[in-house]
Amino acid sequence: MKLSSPADLESYRRELEEQTDTSAKTVRVCIGTGCAAKGSRTLYKLFCEAAESADNVTVEAKCVGCHGFCERGPIVVIQPGNILYQRVEEPDVAEIFRETVIGGRIIERLLFKDPATEEVARTEDDIPFYNIQNRIALRLNGVIDPTDIDDYILHDGYSACAKALTEMEPDEIIAEIEKSGLRGRGGGGFPTGRKWRSCREASGEQKYVICNGDEGDPGAFMDRSVMEGNPHAVIEGMIIGAYAIGASQGYIYVRNEYPLAVEHLKTAIGQAQETGFLGEDILGTGFSFDIRINRGGGAFVCGESTALVASLEGLPGEPRAKYIHTVERGLHGMPTDLNNVETWVNIPAIIRKGGKWFSSIGTEGSKGTKVFSLVGNINNTGLVEVPMGITLRKIVEDIGGGIQNGRAFKAVQTGGPSGGCIPAGHLDAKVDFDELTELGSMMGSGGMIVMDEDTCMVNVAKYFLNFLQEESCGKCTPCREGIAQMVHILERISRGEGKEEDIGTLEKLAALLKDTALCALGATAANPVLSTLRYFREEYEAHIRDKRCPAKVCPGLFAYEIDPDTCKGCGVCLKNCPVDAISGESKKPHAIDQDLCTQCGTCFEKCPFDAVIKV
Amino acid sequence: MPTVTIDDIKVEIEEGQTILDAARKAGIWIPTLCYHPSVAPKASCRLCMVELQRGDSSRLVTSCNYEVYSNITVKVSSEKAVNARKGVMELLLARAPESEELKTLAEKMRVTSTPYPSVTESQRNCILCGLCTSVCEEVIGKAAIGFAGRGVDKAVAPPFRQAAEDCIACGACVAVCPVGTIQMRYHEDTNEVEISPFKARAKLGTCAECGAPLVPVPVNEEVFKKGKIDTEELRIRAALCPECRRKRSAQTMYTAALSSRNP
Repeated sequence: MKLSSPADLESYRRELEEQTDTSAKTVRVCIGTGCAAKGSRTLYKLFCEAAESADNVTVEAKCVGCHGFCERGPIVVIQPGNILYQRVEEPDVAEIFRETVIGGRIIERLLFKDPATEEVARTEDDIPFYNIQNRIALRLNGVIDPTDIDDYILHDGYSACAKALTEMEPDEIIAEIEKSGLRGRGGGGFPTGRKWRSCREASGEQKYVICNGDEGDPGAFMDRSVMEGNPHAVIEGMIIGAYAIGASQGYIYVRNEYPLAVEHLKTAIGQAQETGFLGEDILGTGFSFDIRINRGGGAFVCGESTALVASLEGLPGEPRAKYIHTVERGLHGMPTDLNNVETWVNIPAIIRKGGKWFSSIGTEGSKGTKVFSLVGNINNTGLVEVPMGITLRKIVEDIGGGIQNGRAFKAVQTGGPSGGCIPAGHLDAKVDFDELTELGSMMGSGGMIVMDEDTCMVNVAKYFLNFLQEESCGKCTPCREGIAQMVHILERISRGEGKEEDIGTLEKLAALLKDTALCALGATAANPVLSTLRYFREEYEAHIRDKRCPAKVCPGLFAYEIDPDTCKGCGVCLKNCPVDAISGESKKPHAIDQDLCTQCGTCFEKCPFDAVIKV
Repeated sequence: MPTVTIDDIKVEIEEGQTILDAARKAGIWIPTLCYHPSVAPKASCRLCMVELQRGDSSRLVTSCNYEVYSNITVKVSSEKAVNARKGVMELLLARAPESEELKTLAEKMRVTSTPYPSVTESQRNCILCGLCTSVCEEVIGKAAIGFAGRGVDKAVAPPFRQAAEDCIACGACVAVCPVGTIQMRYHEDTNEVEISPFKARAKLGTCAECGAPLVPVPVNEEVFKKGKIDTEELRIRAALCPECRRKRSAQTMYTAALSSRNP
């Protein structure tokens, strides 16, 4: 069925509304990658079977996208009542169906219990992880079936596209985006409206819009969840952008490691074409636009705009030196607008509710909300969307529920591998493009890794630099050679072979990279080193001068010892030691021969009484 | 025509020409490695960095590919620019410590040593500037070599690291290599040349008259494929060494002169 006008769309939406059985009970099963990995697809099937066999009541089992609370997956939400069950397993299905869906009774043990306060929550709204959030980009994640365009249309889907194409001039749309203050969510933070205007004003017979879905930061999965859970919003945003800019072809560049995102986007594009939102003469407006999906080859650097464009052209994914911007000369030398997934999904909301509404959220320089993937040594990991300007403390302590196992907070790493580590002293800093940059980190695409006191910052810097060395394309000298030199130095330091001048050399290399690297990946590659040096310099110095790792992580820079007061002499460590470095009589305190010990950590892990300690 | 003020010297250049063009016109030397006028600039070696002034602030740009469309001010010898180029050169010296060509260029830049150890060597003495791959593809039209791998493992190599069938042993890569890493070797026993380190070999032609060695056979063949020059006379002349070719020309002229005198 093809919709040929906005009126058509509205009457179709009403029709869908009328068909909806409001008395029906629904079971929403998350099939996002996190929950699916824990078997939610089977749960969904079981609920479908149960729903079919139900007598007298209409029950709809529905697969939905990521809720964000991945750590507690698989997540199942039951309507009416919005009851949220977490860590649901196969044997629970029959019980949930019998008790809650049919009987309306709550199963206590499947509810979320706050690890800190022990409080039990029945719905999303009762959980701080959810109720502090403000969801714009993730509004329909976990609500709609991502494979069903009707469900999207029922929730005002494509109404922004209809409004933009029929009631607004391209210039008006751009003005609205400018008014909203939306800045690119991929990492750069460039004002989206300004980018669109430059692209609209650039001359070229063919223009392109591209959606960058090549998310590659370790621990980040914001874009994946949006593409999986609400693909039509990405498409709708791109249609509006293409109309405003004057593009007739769009591309979604998705990394190949996101098969579910590719599948859902493909389905969504097919449905949008059938319904008349993509293709010739969209909604009878005369505007034509289509989208193709390109799968990346697994290179982190292809998230960089010029490398992505090269990859789309079939060339090796290497950045190009650009003094002429992509908006003027991009894909095939034509004006090209490239925006991140999260940027695109904000567009329909801005068009529907207005730029003024969007700009009322956030801070002076950073408007709207930002999705973060909150991971690391924290109680509640998952995807959170918060208004700009919220403090890091609120994210870590309230939404994240604090540090695991009662350990102390040490640092939060934001901005992906090229971001920086922010220490406890700056936890009250606001999440804002400029404020994070000032702290030596950056907003980046939204990775947020929380680290506890047992984290060695030299090791953290080494991890990220190693990642960047692996992912450097090797085209330009400073990035290829400079990162390798820095990794070499960091490895030496963490082996206890650091030299006094190493810190100076690291700083010199960092400055060189920033000034001379070809692309942003290289120019920001030194950030993990610079920010850890800025806030944790004494840890570097302890490694270099005292040959000691204060967090007791770097092998060789601390020792394992047995606490004679705690040791029961059970002999577990002695039996498990691979180098026979432990001696002692039964039921008497054992001891480790430091000359023989290889610091493999086996005794530390095996001791049932925590008598093996790091010193 | 935009004016480039470069270290206080003003030069006018055509729109779209680069800062490097301006510097050369002004007689100011900027070191380059991956730049060659016959191929598109890649700006990958980062050795030609200069300081571009914009009001009170400035930033470093690569002069080889920065196209000029309006009046600009550039510093080549500012501390910032000199330090950036020095830093890049030090990294290159650590990568290719044995290259005499690189050492000579470094000395010209007043860089006499590197503080860094050699930690990357995916290909001995190669700085991965990419001139060889560009010239092979863009000028010769063969693309017999390209980049394999990425990051610190990146290397210039023929497909599958086997001797490339497409290589005609023309030696263009040898000629453009700025650090003397690519070499042409002559194997007397088989009368072949080898493009080292790419393993490709080709027989040398021999003079049809005296047997002296000529250009590699595939190069000759390639010449006849270009344009409409495949004539009988050209084929005969291409099979001769310069000396025998000169003799043949003299003989031809002599015969022609004789026939004009005795019609």
